[in-house]
Amino acid sequence: MSGLESAPAAVTPDDNVQWTTVGGVRVPVELITPPWPDPYLDIEDYDPDADLMVLNMGPQHPSTHGVLRVKLFLDGEICVKCVPYLGYLHRGVEKLCEKLSYVQITPIVDKNDYVSPMMNELAINMAFEKLIEAEVPRRSQYIRTICAEIQRVGSHLLWLGTFGLDMGGAIGGGGSIFMHTFRERELLLDLFEDLTGCRFHYNTHTVGGNRHDIPAGWAAKATKVLAELNARCFEYEQFVRENEIFRARTVGVGVVDPVLAMELGISGPILRASGVDVDLRRDQPYAAYGEIDINVPTETAGDCFARYLVRVAEMRESIRIATELLKGIPEGPIGSLKPVKLAGAVKAKHGKAVYAAIESPRGELGTFVVGNTERRQAAIPYRCKIRSPSMHALQLLPYLCPGNNLSDIIVALGSLDPIMGEVDR
Amino acid sequence: MSFDNPWVHGLVMGLIIGNVSLAITGYSIWFERKFAGRMQNRPGPTVVGPWGLLQPVADVLKLMQKEDITPRGADKALFNIAPPLTVFAALSTLAVVPVAPGWIIADLHIGILFALALGSLMVFPVWMAGWASNNKYALLGGMRSAAQSISYEIPLLLSATVPIILADSFQVTQIVEAQLGGNWFAFWPPGPGFAAFALFFLCSLAESNRIPFDIPEAESELVAGVSTEYTGMKFGLFYLAEYLHTFIISLVAAALFLGGWDGPGDNDGFIWMAIKTLSLFVFIFWVRWSYMRYRSDQLMAMCWKFFLPLGLALVMFSALWVHWT
Amino acid sequence: MSWLESFDNLAVNLRNIFRPKNTEALPWEQQRERSARYRASFALVHNEHGEEACIGCKMCEKICPSDIITVVAGGRKESPATGKKRGYCDDFILDLNACIVCELCVQVCPEDAILMLKVQETPAFQREDLVLTMEKLYENEKLGATTWATGAKLIEMQAPPPPPPKPAPEKKPEAPAAAPPAKAEAPAPAETAPPAETKTSEEGGE
Repeated sequence: MSGLESAPAAVTPDDNVQWTTVGGVRVPVELITPPWPDPYLDIEDYDPDADLMVLNMGPQHPSTHGVLRVKLFLDGEICVKCVPYLGYLHRGVEKLCEKLSYVQITPIVDKNDYVSPMMNELAINMAFEKLIEAEVPRRSQYIRTICAEIQRVGSHLLWLGTFGLDMGGAIGGGGSIFMHTFRERELLLDLFEDLTGCRFHYNTHTVGGNRHDIPAGWAAKATKVLAELNARCFEYEQFVRENEIFRARTVGVGVVDPVLAMELGISGPILRASGVDVDLRRDQPYAAYGEIDINVPTETAGDCFARYLVRVAEMRESIRIATELLKGIPEGPIGSLKPVKLAGAVKAKHGKAVYAAIESPRGELGTFVVGNTERRQAAIPYRCKIRSPSMHALQLLPYLCPGNNLSDIIVALGSLDPIMGEVDR
Repeated sequence: MSFDNPWVHGLVMGLIIGNVSLAITGYSIWFERKFAGRMQNRPGPTVVGPWGLLQPVADVLKLMQKEDITPRGADKALFNIAPPLTVFAALSTLAVVPVAPGWIIADLHIGILFALALGSLMVFPVWMAGWASNNKYALLGGMRSAAQSISYEIPLLLSATVPIILADSFQVTQIVEAQLGGNWFAFWPPGPGFAAFALFFLCSLAESNRIPFDIPEAESELVAGVSTEYTGMKFGLFYLAEYLHTFIISLVAAALFLGGWDGPGDNDGFIWMAIKTLSLFVFIFWVRWSYMRYRSDQLMAMCWKFFLPLGLALVMFSALWVHWT
Repeated sequence: MSWLESFDNLAVNLRNIFRPKNTEALPWEQQRERSARYRASFALVHNEHGEEACIGCKMCEKICPSDIITVVAGGRKESPATGKKRGYCDDFILDLNACIVCELCVQVCPEDAILMLKVQETPAFQREDLVLTMEKLYENEKLGATTWATGAKLIEMQAPPPPPPKPAPEKKPEAPAAAPPAKAEAPAPAETAPPAETKTSEEGGE
């Protein structure tokens, strides 16, 4: 199914429109019969003589990104129906958030999207700051933005490496590009080690600002590392972009209809590769994004190759943004609230509910926080709901699989870039 | 060396050539890991022995002491016979390949035909392993591999026909002797000779399931393809057969297209055969660690729509060439 | 010619053969050079009087998100070194198996008693070996590999600056430069006072 025709236009009163009633409401038939096949169709409604093979790409598999179980119904090598099963990495993060105070939640939420942890911290602390109406100092905003952009580069590097693994195998060409991208990622992780002390899972953002300030010489070192990375991007492109095998595997594979993507709530590179120009950094600027221009790359093809192009372009764009911001970090404090000495240091307004979202490398990562109404529990949120973009992206899988080879399913799944930590939380 | 008794000759040559090939194949594991490591900016094995030279020994010992598991529901006879049969199919083609003037196990009149026929036996053990494992991943891998191997035999035979026609003989020693003096079949006739060489090379890569044609053992999709359920030394035998087949491809390609033991000027000898074989061998590893794999239907399309017509055209061209010269 | 670009992969790999290696094989005992702020394991330290710095206030136990610290307080006693009464800690257990390395315990410690180390714990064969007892934590102090961050330094780094002092009228006594106004946003005296003063004032307060 390609479904690349433009989205159905708004329905106007017309004699040719067929109307039907759904739940007592009169709706046009067009709106409830989408142009794509229904992936949840009962398997018995398929050809009963088909003799389908049920292949379980189980939770342990060299190339489902994390623990994802996909039950495939195969007719020979063509997939007829696909049922993903989630929840193998569920750790009860949102339940934990109901018993931990605001300052203790950050290191727990860090582990959701374990590939770009500062995004999680940023999203949740932005929500907390909105809840208690705290101002974040400008220097802290700059540090947050720079770190977010460098995390984006790191995440896309990891994606490129694992995408190569999916296609080429760990012993083979994929292994080579995997090693090359991880070599660059090490440079970024060293930068974060200098800043926060940890290579991963930093706990560096806090309500009201940051916990670690930039050490002397970090800005210069970061600029140098980013310049090196920019040069290496060309090498990756050389490795994959013009390679006939890569193009043969990704062009035309896993095409995502923009209307379907919007219906499923997908955002980020997947949506942008299908032609819809939405980017929270530019449309709803947060942190220091309001102070610079962001060029958002989009493609129209919607296939895996387009997603690859969008992500590599985003990498370059992030390097540019980070380099520009590094030139002019304002002086000042990095926190606006008294630094945390007690678990209950941060208290929120009772019963207030806010939502704050950021643009993570996978899409819109948002947190919905409700403050506690009991006075004794003011330091603990009543509910933290985390909206993870990978979960919405995985909803695409039943639509992408039917009619495709097993190899194409792997490539399409890889290009969706799901991170199971944030899918299952 | 001219032993009069062909049995004695064959036995001695077999021992020497066979053992040397197996030793080179064993150490190709070390070499590949070092080479891949250097391409990825890392040292490769360094711990076991100086420069990691004892790594193959460690690998073999490790595989030998692992538990030999047969999955429940597996067809025991087929399951057990598949790995040794793969090695046999790979090793048997060694019988007709000359490594130096006079050094050949059995100089058959139908040498190259014999080699290709035995090489195509490789289809069966892979198919057997895929079926007998009682595992869907292995089944998919086995089916893909069977389809791929059978399809790629045809362009392989066609491209091997080019040196046969140009040298007017099936006997491999005579094919090599026809190239002595510098007119290697890869470069003379210019153009199509190289096309025939490239075609032979790519088709043999496809026959032995190497990247970029290794979809049957695509480990990102099929865990380990046909060898998913094999443990211990049986897995080791599959592994060995793959490397052995790669080595033999390089030998055969060097003999058929690159002039065998032909050296510059008058010094022919074994050393030139070794250099050509090993450089092809290294090139195969280089390709393996650089490219991703094709999808299986793209593989098939490439074989039937591109390689096969090219092979036919090359055969016709070589016939016409022989007629004109 | 675009088919020539298919050989780019080979070229990239060939180029990488001649670049310096990114990994090195270290001997088993040696650890990699880490940055100044790198944090891995824990140590309890002695203060400048030679006594155990930990006063058993349980702030670290309360802030830990993973609940891995168990502190058994030892009551207030007179300190043999300074003569003043201070708290003591009878037992301190830190379960390194569940630590998420968030550094919050270091940040909240009023005495800078618990610090993090730049070296990892040696791998163990049993989970019990990674539960750090008080004895092990004080032994870790002797490794001399504590990281840069202590409680006071972290607080100093994170605190917002004091608002400018209000111009005092002539008749009132001159307020010190760091005088915090009555607003809640002002930092604790830890920011500008030297660390020794911090300790004694906090000590007295606790």
